Amino acid sequence: MNQTAQVALLTGGGGGIGGAVARRMAVAGMIVVIADYDHAAAEQVSAEIKSAGGKAEALSVDVTQGREVKALVTDVAQRFGRIDVLANIAGGSFYTKRIEEFTWAEWKQVIDTNVKGTFLMCREVAPVMQRQKSGRIMNTASNYGVTGSALRAPYAAAKAGIISFTKSLALELAPDGILANTVAPGPTDTPRVMEKETPEARKQRWYSSIPLGRTGQPEDLAEMYYFLTTAEAAAITGQTFHVNGGLVMP
Amino acid sequence: MRLKDKVAVVTGGAQGIGRAVVLGMGREGAKVVVADLQGEKAQSVAGELHALGAQGLAVEVNVASESSVKRMAKETFGHFGRADILVNVAGIYFPKASVVDLSEQDWDRTMDINVGSNFLCCREFVPAMRAQKSGRIISLASGIGHYGMRQFSHYAASKAAVMGFVKALARELGPDGITVNAICPGSANTAMPRQHRSEEEIMARLRSTPLPHVLEPEDIAGPILFLASDAAAFITGQSYNINCGSFMF
Repeated sequence: MNQTAQVALLTGGGGGIGGAVARRMAVAGMIVVIADYDHAAAEQVSAEIKSAGGKAEALSVDVTQGREVKALVTDVAQRFGRIDVLANIAGGSFYTKRIEEFTWAEWKQVIDTNVKGTFLMCREVAPVMQRQKSGRIMNTASNYGVTGSALRAPYAAAKAGIISFTKSLALELAPDGILANTVAPGPTDTPRVMEKETPEARKQRWYSSIPLGRTGQPEDLAEMYYFLTTAEAAAITGQTFHVNGGLVMP
Repeated sequence: MRLKDKVAVVTGGAQGIGRAVVLGMGREGAKVVVADLQGEKAQSVAGELHALGAQGLAVEVNVASESSVKRMAKETFGHFGRADILVNVAGIYFPKASVVDLSEQDWDRTMDINVGSNFLCCREFVPAMRAQKSGRIISLASGIGHYGMRQFSHYAASKAAVMGFVKALARELGPDGITVNAICPGSANTAMPRQHRSEEEIMARLRSTPLPHVLEPEDIAGPILFLASDAAAFITGQSYNINCGSFMF
């Protein structure tokens, strides 16, 4: 471990899981750069971290835009001199409907936000990590990326794409000592999900099919992302880590 | 300290990955039962625990013997009064033989020691975990259980069986707040593969992984400590690969 604080860059860092990951990394002493499409959300997480005595910075990015991603990464690398950790958490399913009802634009929106955004971020950050000869990348999939999901075809396709993209990335970056893994959350109680569903409906829908008898909390996921940045995870690359209470056991 | 005052039982704890798990858990504040067929070596690892300022108990056990496993459980409860974590590391990776040449005895021995042991050990410790509504079970499987390996059909079958057993048990014990997971190491720098490979073969294999990193017992122990900790409370039924990128499932 370096004496200087590690720099972690998180996309979707203003969201439910992203915010929890940001707080976890900050508690561990990292400088956390919270990049989000929703700048106000990023600012809020950053302010929380700072008021708790941590180091954070909020920045805006639309991960589907190559130019914005490049500008973000250049800015972060210049400002902090390094990027030790990249967590790509920005994403979402956006729609639940049948394949024949999806428009081409909607399909592209889901694919781009999830898998293209992950590609663009990795493409810009990889050279920084290669110069350092170290780095940890965590991409975000979903259990739907291995099981599929009726009414979420583009999302399931994008998440499967992230799993396979990450394996390829891991193989390419391994010679430089850079690790790349995927975290696959199961049903997680984020504000975005909870505003669409009552706790009672959620319980009805999930509890009987999850062996641990509950849905996930953002903090459950944050621990997995954090573990993958530690010295204990030094031999792990190209793997997919499902955190889902036992809903899916691939 | 992530495991303060927890009681952990580690089978195969006298050497290699098991020893690294024992010492790692001791450093995290756990009281550890070093259970191994090699009683003297287990004593010596318990001595290493004491040197760290941790509590340890060496127990000689044959994990494929029902009566021996029962005795190990009795000694654990007698000495520490509880059991919070069970790590099933004990196993064999021997002999090398193609299917047509493999004896029934060698088949049975591999299945009994590698996966039968999981059944016997879990059966003894699960009731206490159920009563306290918490527990962690972590079993060593292997990438070979996914990938297969020529001349090791018995080993591959036994390790795939561990993963199946872990998933079933995770479903069975989830409602009681007990998590059950498997770790699948790649080739590691331990005594186990040295039974049938030359030193050069082993080092060449260890250096041929995508990641320029020789897989050491501590690399496997780290993820096991994570799974044993509160941080992994929502993880169950999983089989995580730790292999320097040599295999991605």
